Amino acid sequence: MIQIFNVVKMYDGSNPVLDNISLEIPKGEFVFLTGPSGAGKTTILKILFGWESFEKGQVLVKGINVGKLTHRNVYTLRRSMGVVFQDYKLLPNKTVFENVSFAQEVIGHDRKTIRFKTWEALKNVGLTPKKDAYPAYLSGGEQQRVAIARAMVNSPAIILADEPTGNLDPDISFEILKLFEELNQKGSTIIFATHSQEIMKVGNHRVISLNRGKVVAS
Amino acid sequence: MQTLISGFRTTLSNILNNKQTFLLSVATITIAISILGLFLLLFFNLNGLLSNWNRQVQLIVYLDDDITVSQKEILEGLISNNQHVESTTEVSRETAWAEFQSNISDNLKPLLSLEFNPLPGSYKIRFRSSDNQLPHIRELSETLETQQGVESIQYGEEWITRFEKFMVFSKIFLFAIGGLLSLGLILIISNTIRLSIYSRQDEIELMLLIGATPTFVKIPFLLEGMIQGLAGSVLALFLIGGVHYYLKSEFQSSIDSMGMDFQFIAEPFLFGLIGLSVLVGLMASYISTFQFLYLLNKK
Ligand SMILES: Nc1ncnc2c1ncn2[C@@H]1O[C@H](COP(=O)(O)OP(=O)(O)OP(=O)(O)O)[C@@H](O)[C@H]1O
Ligand SMILES: [Mg+2]
Repeated sequence: MIQIFNVVKMYDGSNPVLDNISLEIPKGEFVFLTGPSGAGKTTILKILFGWESFEKGQVLVKGINVGKLTHRNVYTLRRSMGVVFQDYKLLPNKTVFENVSFAQEVIGHDRKTIRFKTWEALKNVGLTPKKDAYPAYLSGGEQQRVAIARAMVNSPAIILADEPTGNLDPDISFEILKLFEELNQKGSTIIFATHSQEIMKVGNHRVISLNRGKVVAS
Repeated sequence: MQTLISGFRTTLSNILNNKQTFLLSVATITIAISILGLFLLLFFNLNGLLSNWNRQVQLIVYLDDDITVSQKEILEGLISNNQHVESTTEVSRETAWAEFQSNISDNLKPLLSLEFNPLPGSYKIRFRSSDNQLPHIRELSETLETQQGVESIQYGEEWITRFEKFMVFSKIFLFAIGGLLSLGLILIISNTIRLSIYSRQDEIELMLLIGATPTFVKIPFLLEGMIQGLAGSVLALFLIGGVHYYLKSEFQSSIDSMGMDFQFIAEPFLFGLIGLSVLVGLMASYISTFQFLYLLNKK
């Protein structure tokens, strides 16, 4: 499903942020991606959904050669993915409901499907009571759950979650982990970036450890 | 279709969010298109004037005093065989003289007590009315000029040629003005659209991140540019219509006597103006969205 071969990424042209990384994540797997701050977790995820380019190597996602995509066709890759961004990226002038339905409007679903699926996704993350609230009036954890609902609403084949429990206390974190495990059971391949030892212990999935742009354990 | 509808909704909210810049941009378009439209109006009326004169033009063939009958027959044959000629009147020397004398005021008459008749005989040739009769007149005039027995030919040629040159110049002028104004409009509209885009920067970035096509992202802004162009040009046409109405009601009576009419811009050109304005709006917004997406994708 996801294959990364000898990828080198440099933001400034000299110091590699990802240094000859190779990884393989089969279809339907759930992996943790961990490592200290600045190790390159977010960078890997960005490369996987075509938001960052890379200097060397090859990346294949669902058979798509990511390095060869242009801004005209990269959307085909992104439509097979749901992404939970480290900074959520919720739109402040849209309600919770609108933020989630937006992800479907953008890819052109019809209104009925959008209502139904948004409702489902909000139910899954337990946010139906807050559906008309604006992000600014939500707690950090609630905002994160909106971001998760938006990432899962299109039932994507792959979910990339960049520290989706970063701001949450342990109880909620485990709930959210469970949510991703359910999605995984429904067939989604999941990459879950996290710092949290507890989460990884409870989750008991394969762990990919990065340090200074290299894979130190997998 | 779904894309267009949701794009249109975004456009409306963009416009509402940036009402002032939108209105300013529309006002600018209105002014620019009004300028162009007023020139067009002027052009159409001058053109009307020209065709009006054209219709009244007659070719006068002055004859040598000693023209022979057979030479006259040749001339008459040439004239009557010309399919553009409507009618011919022969004015003999005597008639010309009589007409001349009756046209002149009584106190001048003593001065003109000539012993002999100085006026030549002539043919006055009228042409079938058409907008494009000048070349026919010119053609016949060139044929007749070389004939034996013709002294000279006159049809207000210089005037008309000058006027025609002026109309050609006007056309070039209109194109130049139109081009310059369009260029200016493109700069101004693209700037408004750029503001609109920047106020939605995060949203656009997110849209692209969650799988929107570039077209989907562009449509609301393209629509916005086209709506600006449409609104601006329609307003401008109302303005020009107002000016035309005013001129007509004030001055129509004074040009009635000349058998003339204030003309409005011809319909195809009205639609042309609207089309031009919408196209300019589209081009301007296309440039802005292209620039923005290009910068966004450059990293
Ligand atoms: N846009 C950028 N321009 C320049 N350097 C960047 C950029 N984004 C990240 N970096 C650098 O790349 C390195 C890896 O960053 P990345 O965000 O991938 O780390 P991370 O593992 O996600 O860290 P964290 O756990 O803090 O989120 C860091 O040293 C960071 O400073
Ligand atoms: Mg990160």
